Amino acid sequence: MSSKRSIFVGIDLGTTNSAAAVFDGERVQLIRSAQGSGLLTPSVVRIDARGKVTVGERARRLVDQDPDNVKSEFKRMMGSQQTIAFPAAGLVRKPEELAAEVLRSIREDVKAQTGILPETAVIGVPALFELPQTAATSEAARLAGFERVEIIQEPVASGLGAGFRAAEDVGSFLVYDLGGGTFDVSLLEAREGLLRVVGHDGDNFLGGRDFDAALVDHFIELIRAQSGVTLQRDNPAHAHAFRRLRVAAEDAKIELSRSTEADVFIADIGLQGQSVALSASVERATFESLVAPLIERTITICERLLQSHGLVGAGSVGNVVLVGGPTSIPALRARVAQALGAPFGEGLDAMTLVAEGAAYYAASSGLDARGSGAKEAGAGAPVWLQFPAMSSDLNPFVVGKLVEASSRERISHVVISRTDGGWASAREVVDPDGTFAIMTNLVARRPNTLRIEGYAPNGDGPLLLAPSEFVIVHGVTLGDPPLARSVGVALANNGVRVFFDRGSPLPMRRTFAVRTVETLSPADPEGSLRIPVVQGEFPYAHLCRLVGAIEIKASSLKSPLPVDSLIEVTIELDRGGRLAASGCIPSTGDVFGHVAQLITGKVVPSELAPRIEELRTRLRDTRTKAFKHKAQKAITVLSSAEAMLDDCAIATQRAQGGDQDAGERAQRLLIDADALIAEGEGEIAWPDLDERARSGLTRWAGWIAEYGTAIERQALEETTRAMEKASLARNAREVRHHLATIAHLGNAAAMRSEGAWESELDYQISQITKSRDPKAAAKLVAEGQRAIQVRDKAALEAAVRGLWELAPGTSDKTRGLGHWSGVT
Amino acid sequence: MNPRERVVDNPFFVLGVARDAARPDIERAAQRLLAELSIGRQSALAYSTPLGPAQRTEDKVRAAAAELRDPAKRLVHEAWATLAAEPTPAPGFEPISWPLALRLIGGKAEG
Repeated sequence: MSSKRSIFVGIDLGTTNSAAAVFDGERVQLIRSAQGSGLLTPSVVRIDARGKVTVGERARRLVDQDPDNVKSEFKRMMGSQQTIAFPAAGLVRKPEELAAEVLRSIREDVKAQTGILPETAVIGVPALFELPQTAATSEAARLAGFERVEIIQEPVASGLGAGFRAAEDVGSFLVYDLGGGTFDVSLLEAREGLLRVVGHDGDNFLGGRDFDAALVDHFIELIRAQSGVTLQRDNPAHAHAFRRLRVAAEDAKIELSRSTEADVFIADIGLQGQSVALSASVERATFESLVAPLIERTITICERLLQSHGLVGAGSVGNVVLVGGPTSIPALRARVAQALGAPFGEGLDAMTLVAEGAAYYAASSGLDARGSGAKEAGAGAPVWLQFPAMSSDLNPFVVGKLVEASSRERISHVVISRTDGGWASAREVVDPDGTFAIMTNLVARRPNTLRIEGYAPNGDGPLLLAPSEFVIVHGVTLGDPPLARSVGVALANNGVRVFFDRGSPLPMRRTFAVRTVETLSPADPEGSLRIPVVQGEFPYAHLCRLVGAIEIKASSLKSPLPVDSLIEVTIELDRGGRLAASGCIPSTGDVFGHVAQLITGKVVPSELAPRIEELRTRLRDTRTKAFKHKAQKAITVLSSAEAMLDDCAIATQRAQGGDQDAGERAQRLLIDADALIAEGEGEIAWPDLDERARSGLTRWAGWIAEYGTAIERQALEETTRAMEKASLARNAREVRHHLATIAHLGNAAAMRSEGAWESELDYQISQITKSRDPKAAAKLVAEGQRAIQVRDKAALEAAVRGLWELAPGTSDKTRGLGHWSGVT
Repeated sequence: MNPRERVVDNPFFVLGVARDAARPDIERAAQRLLAELSIGRQSALAYSTPLGPAQRTEDKVRAAAAELRDPAKRLVHEAWATLAAEPTPAPGFEPISWPLALRLIGGKAEG
């Protein structure tokens, strides 16, 4: 490969193994590890007593000898505040620093094979990675020396890899990606060469590692039976034995994919003070029964995804692409094939497809790994060209600009032609600003070399331009990368103001206005206003993940910011999913820029157990009610929540034994279980809600019929129709939303009735002690009463509106749930 | 979005494509405009709408292409593009009222 040609690098930074691929516009080349571990570089890092760093296969081989200083699976901790200790050297590293070591090693391997040390690359991340994890991945790449990286979701990369290889449009297909630590399933659709992500689902904490853990549990039982020793995960003295068992489990798992039986023998599992051996023969059938529940979990997630897109039953997708090491397990393949009823994509390597797809994506985004310094200088008038390096369109535009003013006088027309002689454009006119745009004509599914030449106003030519040739590859491409999970701002009432919906194409930027819920005075040194940024699909902030916050310190204000002040919040997400947020106070013009810090709370294992108990109590209460109401759907949902809490308890135990990753998983499971219980509660409350919706509708419709405007009546009709639909679908969230709209309309109409403002003032007087500012409220009440005396309707309205704004705020408990948001 | 924004930011106007443009034509228009904007091509910096010319930005182009990829959203934008285009805008063109808009796109409206 010569450096004259663009190269595009894709990297799969995996939990257990990493891989890289290089695409030159024509062929894709997989990068071999310099350490002889084939196409994969184990994501393992060792730091020895002298601080020397070893990466990959060499580090992995030392795991048994030096377990304390060889670390793996740090990907599962990316974006958290967890750190990883290397006791021999007395060093502490962040997960992204270790990931950077792996990336640096891969970068060197690319150089060894292509002669080019890549400056840019595309890195795959799991689809359900949240913003902090994505940002940590970008940071790792920066630490590894990459000038620029873009992030692609792994299933999208796999889809791109599979789609690029397919000769025809494959229609809809499912990417089933079971990695070492995460499970992702994505529904994709390839039409007219353009790949679209229809939907994602998955579990950030389900992977090959859990398959190993199931086998380890089996070993623990065997050891108990054979020697009467009970190993405990939360006992630090047993940690070494557990590591040995895990390595043995990993080997046995791989062995069982090839043969029907695996022998496991450990002469001494490494318990202090006593010698305990493990000798066992594991049959494939035994292993299959151990991991069957895990496989079922993946199937449930696949079915949930298909159902949510109206696809039901076997055969609803055309093709299934398997990605990841554990997908070589025969029982898994059989079960997936049976459940989804679709053939597997052929000739695709489950281990390297992500890297391959990422390399194609680098090409379609024009991310030449030679970096910015590689612009070739040549003879001729310099021209700045913009074109897609990879295009799914057979007729993409090439846009360009003659850089030097002098060449704009010499060159009035431009022609682009294919070097195979099959096509040439007409002589296109160059605009007075030196720019031109020409539609090209490509040969399908091939790299197309195009030549560009200029012509003088008198027709002389061709005149040389620099560059004179460039390549566009025709193939499957992806539009702008979609956002995996919705992003919004948490509100003081524990609601969420969604800024970007899931699936929105990146990059994106949006501004919304919010209002403060308390007064902020510059005199208060402790005072601050917090606007939490959350990510997730739930309407309640506490069920979404806190990914950052805008913090406005009271001390930074020039003048007090009264309650109910307007703040304009802008959130920006770039293509790599990096978040920037800023707040602006329009009344003063103060801007609080780029204050978002990506934060993921550090998990405190001792705090997990009480929360599990709390949820268990809530679960029991809800279940009693569910049985009483015979709410079958609620009972089903609650039993899933219970299974989740059981898993959570196990993970918590592991976390207390020092397994940080288990702590992260427990945290996630708690949130998910909470959401499920809430869903169950919603199911039980359904008859109530439905009843409330009906009676509310009757009441408000009356007011609207009598006092509403035409528009309000129209809106009522539309909303009622939507609410009926939601009610039929038993969608509690939608019904509540529509009911609120109807109440709002009804309220507006009701306030037009005779005496409405007067009685509202009476009501507000009764609430005055609960007001956020009783002194100001008393003043408004007096103004209102005076207005009634002088029959000044406008003044009365103004007073009542003022009182509304001072109405009691949200309780501390709710605000705590809303991540202490200071806005609404 | 108010009716004025519905018209001025209408994806069909932003991308300068016809209301019946096929999906590949829309993608191509977006690709061309993004390339033109990145080199600062004069002729791409503004687009015309029935309410007068508006400034074109990369953000707007990307958002417009994304809107038109969604068939449901595209229908709404087609309706607004039709509304704005058909009664030839007289000087002092008034933004369309909601009930009128709903009636024109086939909803039942009164008043």
